[in-house]
Amino acid sequence: MQKLLLFVDMLSTFAGHVFAWAIVALTALISWEVFSRYVLNVPHPWVLDAQIMLYGALFMMAGAYTLSKEGHVRGDVLYSFFSPRTQAGFDLVLYIVFFLPGIFALSHAGWIFANESLAINEKTFSPDPLPLWPFKFILPAAGYGLMLQGIVEIIRCVICLRDGKWPSRVDDVEEVDVDKLKAMVHVSDADIAAVDTLVVQKEEAHRAHGRPAQ
Amino acid sequence: MKLRKELWFGITLMAAILAPTLVFMPWAEMTNGHLGLLMLSLVVVAIMLGFPTAFTLMGMGVIFAWFAYHNANPEIAVRQTLDLMVQRAYSVMTNDVLISIPLFVFMGYLVERANLIAKLFRALELALARLPGSLAVATLVTCAVFATATGIVGAVVTLMGLLALPAMLHSGYDIRLSAGVITAGGCLGILIPPSVMLIVYGATAGVSVVQLYAGAFFPGIMLAGLYIIYVTIVAKLRPHLAPPLPMAERHIDLPAATAALRDTYSHRIIPGLIGALKGGRNLGVPGVDIVKQGVIALLPAMAFVLFMGLVWNLATRPSEVYDTSGLVEMGVSADTQESTTEGLAEPKDEDAVQEPPGADSAPATPAPADAVPSPPAAAAERLPTPSWFWGLLAAGVLSAIAFYSIFTFVRLEVFKMLLASFFPLSMMILGVLGSIVFGLATPTEAAAIGSLGGILLAAAYRQLNFTVVKESVFLTAKTSAMVCWLFVGSSIFSAAFALLGGQQVVEHWVLSMQLTPVQFMLLAQFIIFILGWPLEWTEIIVIFMPIFIPLLAHFHIDPLFFGLLVALNLQTAFLSPPVAMAAFYLKGVAPKHVTLNQIFAGMLPFMAIQVLALGVLYAFPEIGLWLPKVLYQ
Repeated sequence: MQKLLLFVDMLSTFAGHVFAWAIVALTALISWEVFSRYVLNVPHPWVLDAQIMLYGALFMMAGAYTLSKEGHVRGDVLYSFFSPRTQAGFDLVLYIVFFLPGIFALSHAGWIFANESLAINEKTFSPDPLPLWPFKFILPAAGYGLMLQGIVEIIRCVICLRDGKWPSRVDDVEEVDVDKLKAMVHVSDADIAAVDTLVVQKEEAHRAHGRPAQ
Repeated sequence: MKLRKELWFGITLMAAILAPTLVFMPWAEMTNGHLGLLMLSLVVVAIMLGFPTAFTLMGMGVIFAWFAYHNANPEIAVRQTLDLMVQRAYSVMTNDVLISIPLFVFMGYLVERANLIAKLFRALELALARLPGSLAVATLVTCAVFATATGIVGAVVTLMGLLALPAMLHSGYDIRLSAGVITAGGCLGILIPPSVMLIVYGATAGVSVVQLYAGAFFPGIMLAGLYIIYVTIVAKLRPHLAPPLPMAERHIDLPAATAALRDTYSHRIIPGLIGALKGGRNLGVPGVDIVKQGVIALLPAMAFVLFMGLVWNLATRPSEVYDTSGLVEMGVSADTQESTTEGLAEPKDEDAVQEPPGADSAPATPAPADAVPSPPAAAAERLPTPSWFWGLLAAGVLSAIAFYSIFTFVRLEVFKMLLASFFPLSMMILGVLGSIVFGLATPTEAAAIGSLGGILLAAAYRQLNFTVVKESVFLTAKTSAMVCWLFVGSSIFSAAFALLGGQQVVEHWVLSMQLTPVQFMLLAQFIIFILGWPLEWTEIIVIFMPIFIPLLAHFHIDPLFFGLLVALNLQTAFLSPPVAMAAFYLKGVAPKHVTLNQIFAGMLPFMAIQVLALGVLYAFPEIGLWLPKVLYQ
């Protein structure tokens, strides 16, 4: 079971990673267009459409990836203080009540929406039109991807309810990776421990002298 | 024990939201509008239970939208709901305001990984050594600059916790003060543009991001300034909390060449270098080296000359000939030049910001269709030099003389360090911000160029490799997905809320309270402040701003001004115990005997300053509105 879950995680991650590179394309495209428009005086009308498509594809397709890495913002006032079983219980109910209907409706509607666009071979409204329907298929693709990942998360909730602890996930790059940041500024745990003795002394002095001048 | 307290806190909050709704709901005669209010309180509770907010909103939205359509016409309710969802989701996918979010986020991750925070902190520490509480001030400035460029609170607080906290503790600083400075400084990036929060607000409220950036600039600077003033006063009045930097820490090793020059000629840079150039004794210092030092030493003067030339150019530009391409070019150079000068801390900062737009506002007439005037012709028609220009020049020259008379070889080393850390970052920020605010580029374009700048910056500091880019790319994808999916959810949710007529109920209710604009404003800010505890800023903005914004018109409140207040207000949420994220990031890297309570205690004065800043901004709206007014009206 765990293997299957991790496999779906991998699929979502792969899709997310592939579309994540759109940000580099986006940076390059807009920078080049800025140069072309302001310096060479040669604007390209299609760039405006292309940049929107890159941005839309980027974040939509990263949705399932972000879910698999628990990256979607959640209110953790209470959540972080629950036991894993309680967390899984609430999650399970809310996945079924909110997540599944919402995502299913979105994906289903997106599928109809994209197919309508394909039927008329829809293009962007611009002097140099780009085909629009592939972009619209991003919507159901991202939706069904999220749904698959959501089902995996539901299974994880059930496993957690049974075992009392969350099944493991594959690590991914983190926004605040303390060890990496420590290496970046060359600070070791020993350094911090050395400062700690200072802190202890300070607090002792603080207590011994009462509260000087406060 | 601790755990219980937190749980009680949350459950009390939840009950405080649910109870009034359940009590005041007219259960016998439920209208759609009341359903909307029920939905609003349910969503807050559901979010507090910890389910990912984007999907809570989406699910709640789809269920209640179906209710609304079902009450109107059961037969087509399902199709209408589906249509609504797809349209809302697609509008977020094609939103041309939100597109700058991934770009700014990408820029932030790249700048963070360029790893110049250690250099930046060391340079500022030395440059500010003479100020009372110099280390704390250096920490605040480092945080402000770095947090503004990256916008990642967690990374900034963690890094400063690793660098500045040990430095301050070693110098005998109070633990609480040190912790407060780091956490407060790390959060400045949320407010000072280019910040993602302002883009999110702009996209939600339909306010121009450009104007928000222009408006948030001075309040951000003001907040940072108030922090610095507070720290300096504390250091002055209670030196045992923030003792001055010991001389040993201030010592800078001069390179052998300049040390020789100093010992032989003068410790001041100009006499020293001149002496070395014409001096017969060679000292074994190569001439190229002397010239190189000289060029670096003269950089501030050159920047000043360039700037004054530019101001003169703009001030005396003939008003009759108006050439669009010329204007753009001048604008570009005005912008870059301005950032240089401002970065150099010439005393002319204020004028640097004021003059170009003032000069730009000279009446412009369309260019004659036949020919573009050649430069000599334009020069011939120059306006007489205004008298304020001479005043500005005199003041500048005087301060330059003062500057160079104290510019020693030791200070040259500090200046070089600043040149390698502080100036690239601040010029990048000011360049991005300036091009947006002065209307030279759209936020999207500026953000893309900023990302490119981030790549170049990382390359310049030899930190650019495939791993760095890859990690930044993946992090960008996750952060953008988080913010933008939240938008997908919230736009479906707010559509359902509007369908149910929840907005009218709220409006009716608020208007029936007969509030004055001031009371309304206080109430709104208070609600946002309270919501800042259980919810994150993203959630507050995307869920509650659509409710507040339509009310503003009734009270004649500018949505731009409201946005600035909200942005400042939400800052406090980052510093309010017990949910302040900044404190937990700092705790993660602090020595283990630094307790969370000490960190919280340290943050309190800064939180008070934020509330004070909120009051000041409310009392003097011009702080925020002056720049947008000058530029766009």
